[in-house]
Amino acid sequence: MKKKVLLMGASGSGKTSMRSIIFSNNPASLTSRLGATIDVEQNHVRFLGDLILNLWDCGGQDAFMDSYLTSQRATIFQHVGVLIYVFDIESREAAKDLEYYRDCLEGLRQFSPNAAIFLLVHKMDLVRAGREVTFEKKRDELQECSPELSLSVFGTSIYDESLYKAWSNIVHTLIPNANILSTHLSTFAQACSATEVILFERTTFLVIATSSSSSSRPALSSTNGRTNNDARQSDNPANTLDPTRYERTSELIKAFKHSCSRVRGEFHSLEMELWDFTAVLDEMTKNTYVLIIVHDPSIETAALKLNIRMARRKFEELQGDSLISS
Amino acid sequence: MAAAPSPADHPHNGLDAPDGPVQRTKVLLLGLRRAGKTSILEVLFNQLPPKQTFYLETTMRIVKHQVDTVIPLEIWDTPANVTAENLGAPLSEFSSIIFVIDIRDLYNQPISKLVEFILAANKAKGDIPIEVFVHKAEKLQEEDKIENYRQINDRVLDRLIDIDPDYEHLNISFHLTSVYDHSLHESFSKVLQKLVESLPFLEGLLNVFCANSQSPKAFLFDIRSRLYVATDASPVDSATHNLCCDYLQMLNSFGPLYKSITSGSSRQRPATQTPTPAASSGPSRSPSLHDSAAGSQSSDAPISPGPPKKHPKELFYPSAATTLHPVTPGTTLTYHLITRHLALLAVLPTSVYESRRGLLEYNIVFFREGIQEICDVEDEVRDGG
Ligand SMILES: Nc1nc2c(ncn2[C@@H]2O[C@H](COP(=O)(O)OP(=O)(O)OP(=O)(O)O)[C@@H](O)[C@H]2O)c(=O)[nH]1
Ligand SMILES: Nc1nc2c(ncn2[C@@H]2O[C@H](COP(=O)(O)OP(=O)(O)O)[C@@H](O)[C@H]2O)c(=O)[nH]1
Ligand SMILES: [Mg+2]
Repeated sequence: MKKKVLLMGASGSGKTSMRSIIFSNNPASLTSRLGATIDVEQNHVRFLGDLILNLWDCGGQDAFMDSYLTSQRATIFQHVGVLIYVFDIESREAAKDLEYYRDCLEGLRQFSPNAAIFLLVHKMDLVRAGREVTFEKKRDELQECSPELSLSVFGTSIYDESLYKAWSNIVHTLIPNANILSTHLSTFAQACSATEVILFERTTFLVIATSSSSSSRPALSSTNGRTNNDARQSDNPANTLDPTRYERTSELIKAFKHSCSRVRGEFHSLEMELWDFTAVLDEMTKNTYVLIIVHDPSIETAALKLNIRMARRKFEELQGDSLISS
Repeated sequence: MAAAPSPADHPHNGLDAPDGPVQRTKVLLLGLRRAGKTSILEVLFNQLPPKQTFYLETTMRIVKHQVDTVIPLEIWDTPANVTAENLGAPLSEFSSIIFVIDIRDLYNQPISKLVEFILAANKAKGDIPIEVFVHKAEKLQEEDKIENYRQINDRVLDRLIDIDPDYEHLNISFHLTSVYDHSLHESFSKVLQKLVESLPFLEGLLNVFCANSQSPKAFLFDIRSRLYVATDASPVDSATHNLCCDYLQMLNSFGPLYKSITSGSSRQRPATQTPTPAASSGPSRSPSLHDSAAGSQSSDAPISPGPPKKHPKELFYPSAATTLHPVTPGTTLTYHLITRHLALLAVLPTSVYESRRGLLEYNIVFFREGIQEICDVEDEVRDGG
């Protein structure tokens, strides 16, 4: 299954930078060496099992934009699964950016009316004061441009975890039946006496599903009746954990993976027994990693590793199913 | 001034900082305006992202930073116009002098100032180590970098020898540094090591640990600053150092991320539970292992046991391990908390880590006992003084 993902926005807004960080494991510090993208750079990324992302990184200089909207119009805007439009918060040509954005929406309406749309208000790190207010103002402005759409707008920067939050949300919409994965993750979490279990895509380390996410998705609330002997389940400590933990974990592991790649190899697995929790991060399937967080001090990492080994086959099957059944 | 306990992530471990005033080791940080002195301190000790140093303001007066590493430091950040006379303290009070030079600054001014301080320091107390940080090294290409570094190095030594040929033997070290990579940590680690009086004992224990655990490399890191206080006798290769440094950074960030407000810190209670059945293949942190090692080690300890330890023994010490591809033969990096400030980071063959966990844990316990004893003695000397 292939999904076409359009990455658009003004030249210098940061499209190629984020692509290279998320999909090529480059560090943010090296993005300043990137040149302007000429025309469209296409990349195929095998994301999860049979899901292939076909990324179109569209160079944002005016001449290219004009041609996307005219002679290349059909090529660009047909069969689009997701449009990601990037706005540089410090842009000196905000009015022009908006105009191109409107024109692109029009193209999308014409050729791919069902495409999902994500707007990234990017380079938020450059805003020194009043980040929140600046972001909200920009978001309202973008909403005004397209009142009929319900927009997903994220403030992002390549220098912190916000980039991972935005992209995890984007890919989440591309994974059919991610909710089924969540249900199985919560069962797995119970088997491990875990507070939480998180599933990551292997190369990007974007979050695919978590054991906690099923409770925030109303459609799955029926599965909550299965709690066995553990009474604590109802006030799961996961609810009190740092709300930015998923994207920060992605960022931390990606940074460490990069460190490993500079030395003697590739990151493989991690286990920790820290003051407040025990955790194991290990391969789950060919394309995924799993992180198990346990607050019960009697559980040892060896037990968690064994549980992962035993759950592998089930998750390989599930992963195949969840993609085919779409 | 009282030593503020560091805002540690684990307040319950019973290893609080002493109450009374401690004797701090003084370090003097010198250099021209905009050389990068404040940036260096902020990046090392306040976790300021290197990019943010751009917004730092010029230092206008002397600022004394109290930094709690394995030894309590007092680092003096100075404005450019400071001299040996108007410093407000005799140079002999300092245990180390760091002079920061912008690598592109080949003019006379910084070198004259540096030479002036070297002479003054030599007069005040002959053996103060002088550390020259040739800084912002990442700004230059490799060739220019080496060339400028060599020029600065030569000019300083030439000037000194011109004044007195004997000055060739002064205790001066040059380092290439940048806040944008690990060179700053590695260089500052070497500065710190010279200030740790018990260094030979720490190194001795590390050597024993490496030999007994088949570890090709081990570092004793100061956890918060990520400076290494000691390492075994094998040469330090920068790549391995950098990886350990990054590993420690990741663990430092992970700790608070999944801290639960409701579950409390249950680690502090004695482990009464029986291990889960599935865990039988793994090692256990059993208290008895701890005791047996304590009994057997005192005779070998480099420092004779002093009065009863003021630090209650812990039942739990955080640890971690990460494995790298290829899995066979493979490399594993381990992390073990040793004291409030120190962690052991060791490189191990994955096969050793997996098949000889029990032995490794035993060696760690032995190592920890030794290090704690050394640190207790150092702390006592400082409290009393
Ligand atoms: N401060 C800051 N700079 C960023 C951020 N993201 C990207 N940049 C910088 O912005 C510059 C341009 O980034 P690119 O990724 O080449 O921009 P692009 O959108 O691909 O541009 P075109 O290919 O011409 O369309 C680079 O120097 C990046 O380092 C960010 O979040 N914050
Ligand atoms: N390129 C580069 N710039 C640095 C480095 N260290 C510091 N700087 C910059 O140098 C400037 C002066 O730094 P500052 O610490 O205020 O200098 P001080 O006056 O010596 O305390 C700041 O703009 C820093 O961002 C470095 O390693 N590389
Ligand atoms: Mg580009």
